[in-house]
Amino acid sequence: MATLQAAVSCSNVSQLTCNGVPSSSSRSSSSAVVSWLSPSSKFSSELRLSSVSSFSQSTSVLQNSSVVSQVRREALRPGKVGAARAATGEKNVLIINTNSGGHAVIGFYFAKDLRAAGFDVTILTVGEESSDKMKKPPFSRFSELKEVGVQTIWGSPADVGAAVGSAKFDVVLDNSGKDLDSVKPVADWAKASGVEQFLFISSAGIYKSTDEPPHVEGDAVKGAGHAEVEKYVSELGFKSWASFRPQYMTGSGNNKDCEEYFFDRIVRGRPILIPEPGLQLTNISHVSDLSSILTLAAQKPEAANGQIFNCVSDRAVTLSGFARLCAKAAGKEVEVILYNPKAVGVDVKKAFPFRPVHFYAEPRAAKELLGWTSKTNLPEDLKERYAEYISIGRDKKDIKFELDDKILEAVKQPVTV
Amino acid sequence: MASAVVATPVLGAQLQVKGNASRSSRSSASGAVAVRLNKSFSGLHSVDLSNAASSATSSFNVHAVKSSRAGSQRNPALAVVASAGEKKNILILGGTRFIGLFLARLLVKEGHEVTLFTRGKAAVTSQLPGETDEEYAAYSSQVKHIKGDRQDFDSLKDVIGGKGFNVVYDINGREGTEAEAILNALGDLDQYIFCSSAGVYLKSDLLPHREIDAGDPKSRHKGKLDTEALLESKGVRWTSIRPVYIYGPLNYNPVEEWFFHRLKAGRPIPVPNSGLQVTQLGHVKDLAVAFVKALGNEKAIGQVYNISGSRYVTFDGIARAAAKAGGFQEPELVHYNPKEFDFGKKKAFPLRDQHFFTSIEKAQAELGWEPEFGLVEGLTDSYNLDFGRGTFRKAADFSTDDLILEKLGKKTFVAA
Repeated sequence: MATLQAAVSCSNVSQLTCNGVPSSSSRSSSSAVVSWLSPSSKFSSELRLSSVSSFSQSTSVLQNSSVVSQVRREALRPGKVGAARAATGEKNVLIINTNSGGHAVIGFYFAKDLRAAGFDVTILTVGEESSDKMKKPPFSRFSELKEVGVQTIWGSPADVGAAVGSAKFDVVLDNSGKDLDSVKPVADWAKASGVEQFLFISSAGIYKSTDEPPHVEGDAVKGAGHAEVEKYVSELGFKSWASFRPQYMTGSGNNKDCEEYFFDRIVRGRPILIPEPGLQLTNISHVSDLSSILTLAAQKPEAANGQIFNCVSDRAVTLSGFARLCAKAAGKEVEVILYNPKAVGVDVKKAFPFRPVHFYAEPRAAKELLGWTSKTNLPEDLKERYAEYISIGRDKKDIKFELDDKILEAVKQPVTV
Repeated sequence: MASAVVATPVLGAQLQVKGNASRSSRSSASGAVAVRLNKSFSGLHSVDLSNAASSATSSFNVHAVKSSRAGSQRNPALAVVASAGEKKNILILGGTRFIGLFLARLLVKEGHEVTLFTRGKAAVTSQLPGETDEEYAAYSSQVKHIKGDRQDFDSLKDVIGGKGFNVVYDINGREGTEAEAILNALGDLDQYIFCSSAGVYLKSDLLPHREIDAGDPKSRHKGKLDTEALLESKGVRWTSIRPVYIYGPLNYNPVEEWFFHRLKAGRPIPVPNSGLQVTQLGHVKDLAVAFVKALGNEKAIGQVYNISGSRYVTFDGIARAAAKAGGFQEPELVHYNPKEFDFGKKKAFPLRDQHFFTSIEKAQAELGWEPEFGLVEGLTDSYNLDFGRGTFRKAADFSTDDLILEKLGKKTFVAA
């Protein structure tokens, strides 16, 4: 990572946190080999400024480059960082970011994408900078944000004003609250302080189940939680508002395990236990797909106004299929064993990282209204994820597989050590 | 919802303005009030070919489409559209069985010269259920027929050659050699439009199938892939349409009919494995419109397009949708493991036991085509015009059902 930074011309970046205290060096990115910068990554050195966010710019298999990706490539040219702050009326974006969980990584990528697109960015992480939670990715890599000129501050969504002081923002993304209680103070503060565009990370989990997948924007949702927030925000009178419904994400800097669950078992020669029938469809998207939708929405506030966006890639994968893709990425064989969680007597939420039902949304609004195209390419993305998995030594970690063993016992399969 | 299918109606046709509050921001953004032209009684709607290249419409607004449709009136008056495209001299290979029945009518209505090339085993024309006498008279008096056998390659030059056909719709071709023979007999064409199949796609864990995905050289639809390759290799101006499961009135493939038979008999519906397999049904009338939209469309030259419904559906979901369509009670679904049975040559379920669905985005973007029928609505159309009138192609055969029910210890039925 250090060599990479030297190669980039804008290495003298702001080291200030909100309090003007130089960022702690202990939070600089892990010195472990970041093999996702290896030559196998398919982008030029010019793009490395936001290398993490343009991660899966593989040009194989999937959709052709579009106008969108052209715009992104132009935006990624270095040179604007650092200078942008002093300049002229670039829009100022505030990201309120959760300090843990699957959505934490969204703010990390979005911040970088926004900087590359010329926005000024502040990321307000919930809680305290000194919290143990900050030792995990993506927080442990916030130096990367600081290096590209993102302001990193900490505070509470219940009092955003206290955290940001007199700073004015044009766009706010709430990537923290899951219900009205937690988002209302953010939305109210944003409205009162003149924020023009309010964006909210909701969840595709609010869709009601259907006989006719995929979940499509406009479909019926379960009324509480995120749905209440969407309704509240829509009625506040922002010049532009939009809600984004993600599913599962993969990508370097993830706070929550995704493919790691599968790699843990594959490298140790253990079977992957999947709630039957195994052909449940889900979306596992590279987080850069999500951040590119968000960035487009910030760039096109009129087009995005009043809209819901499913924030997912445009291919679904089956649960068993994902296990197979992980194995292929690792260059190993895998045995998939299907089981019935109820019959076995395990809580499937604890035993398996994905919902055991069809959970499949399509990003139709993003494509149609924002001209967005998906870049997720799971076969390629998982190779990079696997390389990082090995590089941090997780394959050597001592992991207990108690629930797996319980399930195997119940389905009467011997465990080969 | 803004619709790409905006037609100029004649006096008497009703326009229905769609007021959908949740999408009004979309309508106003596009600057036009969303207008939907009522369909003629046979369910066919007229196509304005000049709009074929217009911008893609909202493909994610299925929910709103369904709700507005529920109250729409079927207007018996035909709405005739002045065709913006050039009049073509069209040869349809097939045209008397299912897709071709609807396609030929649309093309005739568009003002093209249309000739059906068939062996004459089925009547060249027959009145469709729901088609008025006037509509049928208009069609049958204009459509032409040439009798012959496309498998008799040597005869083709004499039989169909030198007649000025400039467009071929190859609806029933199976092998590359068959298309080649037609090309040899006809010479230069403005366009060769081929009915292929989504069955060509290689099975995948990553779905939906997209046109760029690999085909399966071992599939039983290999001939369709070969035909596409043949057309490309000949430098022909070709377009290929890949439907998934086609349904609709007069379907000769027992897709919806299979479910309707069981629903009518009040029988449980046996579904293999979990019933969560996801597939996709497309209404034949939507497919016919897609074929028309491809005609004269430069973007479509050398391209393949998946054509089917805007939503996918689980196997269990099809059973429930079919019940709604026919006004039946929600059915009992019985799941079984097909590996535990030997059904011999009989098919215990009409659909392939796997995920099988495609993205229709390319057609939506490039052909300016939108499927009009949601699943329940489309199955209702099929039921009302076909099975619900007492017509079907294949008699009910519950023998495999009874094997399944017996093995699972369920009550078996005495034949009615």
